[in-house]
Amino acid sequence: MNLRDLQLRNFRCFASYAAEFAPGFNFIVGPNGRGKTTLLEAACVLLRLQSQRSTNLAPALRLGERSFVLVGHASDHRLQFYYSALRRKVAFDGVEQRDLAEYLSLARVVSFANHDLDLVRGPAELRRRYLDFIGAQIDVRYRPALRAYERALRSRNALLKSAHPRPRELAAYTEPLVRSGNLLRELRSAIVRRLAPRAAESQRQIGGGQEMLGLEYAPGSEEDFAAQLARARAEETRLRLTTVGPHRDDLRLLVEGRPAAPFASEGQQRTTALALKLAQAQIFAENFGAPPLLLIDDIFGELDAARRNALLGCLPNEAQKLVTATSLAWREGNLEGPILRL
Amino acid sequence: MKRTEYPAALRDLIVQLRQMPGVGPRSAERIALWMVQARSDHPANIARAITETRAAVRPCRRCGFFATAELCEICADESRAADQLCIVEQPTDILPLEKTSAFRGLYHSLGGRISPLDRVAPEDLRIAALVERVEKEKPNEIIFALAADVEGEATTSYLVELLKKYPVTLTRIAHGLPAGGGLESADELTLYRALSGRTKL
Ligand SMILES: Nc1ncnc2c1ncn2[C@@H]1O[C@H](COP(=O)(O)OP(=O)(O)O)[C@@H](O)[C@H]1O
Ligand SMILES: [Mg+2]
Ligand SMILES: [Zn+2]
Repeated sequence: MNLRDLQLRNFRCFASYAAEFAPGFNFIVGPNGRGKTTLLEAACVLLRLQSQRSTNLAPALRLGERSFVLVGHASDHRLQFYYSALRRKVAFDGVEQRDLAEYLSLARVVSFANHDLDLVRGPAELRRRYLDFIGAQIDVRYRPALRAYERALRSRNALLKSAHPRPRELAAYTEPLVRSGNLLRELRSAIVRRLAPRAAESQRQIGGGQEMLGLEYAPGSEEDFAAQLARARAEETRLRLTTVGPHRDDLRLLVEGRPAAPFASEGQQRTTALALKLAQAQIFAENFGAPPLLLIDDIFGELDAARRNALLGCLPNEAQKLVTATSLAWREGNLEGPILRL
Repeated sequence: MKRTEYPAALRDLIVQLRQMPGVGPRSAERIALWMVQARSDHPANIARAITETRAAVRPCRRCGFFATAELCEICADESRAADQLCIVEQPTDILPLEKTSAFRGLYHSLGGRISPLDRVAPEDLRIAALVERVEKEKPNEIIFALAADVEGEATTSYLVELLKKYPVTLTRIAHGLPAGGGLESADELTLYRALSGRTKL
C-alpha cells in the first residue's frame, strides 16, 4: 500500500491543501504550528476513518467550518471521506460505501510520536486503547465485541446508579456483559501473546542488546467472569458501578523484570514505547502481507544518534514512511526521500 | 426592510409536515405547496384518510399488532397454532416474519426492549400482558425473536428468567440476524433460516 496523494479541505489549520508522497521515506519539515502533525493525522483519518490523535473527529473540523473533506489515492484506489457533525460519507473509487469492510481492508497505519511515552508512563486506559487500535484492525470480531461490552457496561452501571435497586434487570444485562467480556479477554490475550516476542526483540535491537522487555496481559476479569461478578455484587452495590471486567484490563510492561513506569530510565521507557509500535507494525505486516503506513511524528530529532540509527534499522524497509521534523540536521546521507516544506 | 414570506397558515402547514419522519424542510415545503395548489381532490382525500385511519387502527388487544377490531387478523385466524408464541420487539417485526411462511403460531409484541440507557424499564413494556397470556393460553413453545444486540440479548435473558417456571419450551431464533437493525432489515431467507434453526434456552 502506498499513499500517493492527499487533499485536505477545512481540516484543522488547512482550508485547502494538497500533497504528494513517494514510496519509502517522505520528510515533512517546518517550524512548530505549521500543520505537520495535522498532515499525518489526515493520512490516518483517510485510511482508517479514525484519528491517532483523538477519539473523536470533531476537533479536526477547521474552526468555524461545519464539514471537512479528505481525498487521496492509495494503491490505485481513490478514497474520499466527508465529515460533518451530522453525517459522514465514505467513498471507494467513487462509490459511496455503507459497509466499510472493503474500504478499511486497504491499509493499516502505525503512528510514532513523542506522546507514545504515555503508553509506558500513563494510565492503563492508554494501553487498552493501544490494544483496541490493533485488535480492530486485525480481527473482525474485535470492534463488535468492544462495542457490545461498552454498551452492556454502561447499561449495567446505569442500573447500579438508579434510585431503586433493579436486581433482575442487572442480571439480564450481566449476560451480554459476560459474553462480550469473555470474547474481549480472549482477543486481547491473543494480541499480547503475539506482541510480546516482537516487542522484546525490538527493545533488544534499539536498546543495544541488553534490555529485556516483557509484556504481560493483566486481565480485569477472571476465567469465570460470571462467578467473579457474582462475588463482587456487594461491592458493586456499595460503589454503584461494575468493579471487575475488561474495562480494568492492563498491559503490564516489564523492563529487566520490573515494572517499566516506576523503575526504567527515561531512555529505556522511550525505547519501550518504540518497541510497542514496532511490534504493532510487524503484526500488521504479517497479517496483511504488506507493511503498514508509518507516521513518524517529530521523534527522530529527539532521539540520540545511537537509538535513531537502531530505530531506522528496525523499520520495515518496504514500508512507506511519513516523517515530520522541525529540521533535517539529524538526517544522514543514506536517508533519501522527497522533502515537503510547510 | 421586511422580507416577504409565505402566509402564516402555509408556514404553519410546512412546520406541521416537518414533524413527519423522513420529511426535511425542502420536501415539507414542496408537499405543502402541492397541497394548496393541486386542482384534484387528492389533498382532501389524504386529510380524510389520515383522520379515518387513525380512528380505525389500534393495537391488537392480545398481541399488539395493527388491528381494526379487538383482535388482529393473525389472532383472529383460528387455523393458526395457538401452542406457539413468538416474541418480538415491535409490531413492525411481525410482517417480515410472516413473509417467510415458516411460522404459523401467534405473536406477542413487547413494544420495545429493556434499555437503561434509553430509560426503558420492564414496566414500560407489555411484559405483564405476556405473563398473563402464558398463564391463560398455555403455549408449548415460546420463541424469542429479538435483535441480536446488547438490549435484545438482555431483554431475552430477563424474560427467560421470568418464564422458566412455566411448563413451556423456551427457544431463540438462530443468530446471524443483523445486530441493531432488528428484524426489519433482515432479508427473507435469513429470517427463514433463523426461524427454522432455533436453539433451546
Ligand atoms: N480545528 C482547528 N481549526 C483551526 N486550526 C487548528 C485546529 N486544530 C488545530 N489547529 C491549529 O493547527 C496548527 C497546526 O498544528 P500541528 O499540526 O500540530 O502543527 P505542527 O505539527 O506542525 O507543530 C496549530 O497552530 C493549531 O493551533
Ligand atoms: Mg506536531
Ligand atoms: Zn393480535
